[in-house]
Amino acid sequence: MSAPTKVILLAMLALFSCAATAADVLRIYNWNNYIAPETLERFETECKCRVSYDTYGSNEELLAKIAAGATGYDLLVPTGNAVESLIKQHALLPLDKRKLPNLGNIGAAYLDRFFDPGNVYSVPYAYTVTLIGYNEQKLHQLGIPTNTWAAIFEPRYLRKLKGRVTVLDDPRELMAAALLYLGYSVNDPNETHWREAAGVIMRAKKYWAAFNNTSYIRLIAAGDIWLAQGYSNDFFQAGLEARKAGKNFTIGSVIPEQGAVLSLDSMVIPRHAPRPDLAYRFVNFMLAGSNSAELTNLIGSGNPNVAALPYIKPAIAATAAIFPDRQTLARLEQLRDLTRRQRQLLNRLWTEIKLY
Amino acid sequence: MRRLLVWPPQAYLIAFFLVPTLIMVASSFAWPGEEGGLSSFWVRDAQGIHFDLTFDNYRDIFTSRLFLVLFARSLGYAGLTTASCLLAAYPLALVIARSAGKYRNLLLLMVIVPFWTNFLIRIYALMIILGPQAALARILNALLDWVGLTPVSLLFSPFAVLVGMVYIYLPFMVLPLYANLEKHDPDLLDAARDLGAGSWQRFWRITFPLSLPGVMAGSALVFIPALGAFAVPDILGGTRGIMIGNVIKMQFLEARDWPFGSALSIMLTLLALVVTGLAAWLARRKVGAGV
Repeated sequence: MSAPTKVILLAMLALFSCAATAADVLRIYNWNNYIAPETLERFETECKCRVSYDTYGSNEELLAKIAAGATGYDLLVPTGNAVESLIKQHALLPLDKRKLPNLGNIGAAYLDRFFDPGNVYSVPYAYTVTLIGYNEQKLHQLGIPTNTWAAIFEPRYLRKLKGRVTVLDDPRELMAAALLYLGYSVNDPNETHWREAAGVIMRAKKYWAAFNNTSYIRLIAAGDIWLAQGYSNDFFQAGLEARKAGKNFTIGSVIPEQGAVLSLDSMVIPRHAPRPDLAYRFVNFMLAGSNSAELTNLIGSGNPNVAALPYIKPAIAATAAIFPDRQTLARLEQLRDLTRRQRQLLNRLWTEIKLY
Repeated sequence: MRRLLVWPPQAYLIAFFLVPTLIMVASSFAWPGEEGGLSSFWVRDAQGIHFDLTFDNYRDIFTSRLFLVLFARSLGYAGLTTASCLLAAYPLALVIARSAGKYRNLLLLMVIVPFWTNFLIRIYALMIILGPQAALARILNALLDWVGLTPVSLLFSPFAVLVGMVYIYLPFMVLPLYANLEKHDPDLLDAARDLGAGSWQRFWRITFPLSLPGVMAGSALVFIPALGAFAVPDILGGTRGIMIGNVIKMQFLEARDWPFGSALSIMLTLLALVVTGLAAWLARRKVGAGV
């Protein structure tokens, strides 16, 4: 048998074997690298089903795919503002709480939030905080304060950091940081305040190296950049990488005194999910403390599950940027979904910011 | 019978070119949906059904300096990429076309092999090569320091975007050029030599004019995708690196404004058509004048 024939036969075999088990497949659409492989395997054994796992890199990607008519998913894990948009689109299934006995494990601070009052549609999964990560030795040596957004936006600090700073390539996150720096709320609807924030960004940007969402983990761990706006779990990863590579510096991360954005990701079931029964089983399974803790132990994400705490590695549980205390938690805000008009304005401001 | 035979390519063109373009044209006149997607093309009220369309998207493009600058910037990047590719690819294609048959395939293979590696992996590799701690940047900055200039950053700069784009699109220039140059009749050059033409004259008056169709094909293959590029400026560009492709992508993601994204895409398509049409016309005139 020739090689191409073999390949075709194998492919056909694979197709048929899929068809044979198609009866019990849970289709999850979740963030990249957002579940521990062993957790998935254990769930598959327990429910005697197969999980097909697709990933996205941003809420916008998820929303665009849903708006383009993607169906067939049983479970999504969007952030609060994307949950808000999906609810407005009537795209989600109201949850039958009787099927979720483990729901009581979620801490009260993460329930009943603005995007879904009463948690009719959503169950908290994990969270991350958008904050400042830095090369501890370099910033100490340069005498730059690290507990304030000024480190990212003040030209007098940035002059010493020229070309060594990255910020998120995300209009909402960067504007939120600039608004906080100016003393406004991240959800401030005032257009003048937005323009003011855009001005702060324009003034600071000539000192930045790049807008970057993904490679800053590697860049800061390699010592190529010294300061970045980014996510708490990413800086946790960067710290591990720097240590593993035997670098002579350490990575710190701090929630600035002006506050920061908290992104709470929640599990939701689409209204037309083919297998809501499996989705319910998965949600309840992930609510068990030991299962939920595995994700935190893998990537250093924040965990809203109180029952998970005993299973979380002490080093992670003790990191203030990942598990902020009550006082810090009060300074964190979640982003709200924007209206069409607001999105349009932000889009123009952002194009201008990135063009000049 | 003959009609039946031409049907498949026509069906292909209609399904994969005409229909998507028409959808894009239609959606560029629609209103955006509140949460992304498109609003309905028509409304039904007491007077019956009528269209609910708008020219706003095009008006926004033409009344804002922002998008003019953006298109100009993209044209600049795409033009520079095409010119650099041409300069790099022409000698290479010439060498391949004139080398002995047994080496020719090997050389062509070497041009194509990097293609087999995933695009993103090649771009991330460039990120490491251009990084501040890599040998290239260190040697360059040591030299700059030696002559008393301030150090520069190679990564996250327009230079990095250009390097990335030239690297990605180079094979698209080499292959059509090679296909053209390989067909040239060597007797023509021998005859020119016999008639006393120097090597420069032989190239400029025979090889180059004959290769113009290849130059045109390669340039179009590089210029058009380069004009709409977004991944390379996203990854390698600094804080001023964006092109029109990035802004179009943004309309479908963050801004959730599909009609505006469609209108920008239409403008991009028209721009590509006009520029390549103009270049083809100029080339034809030059060929006409040269012969």
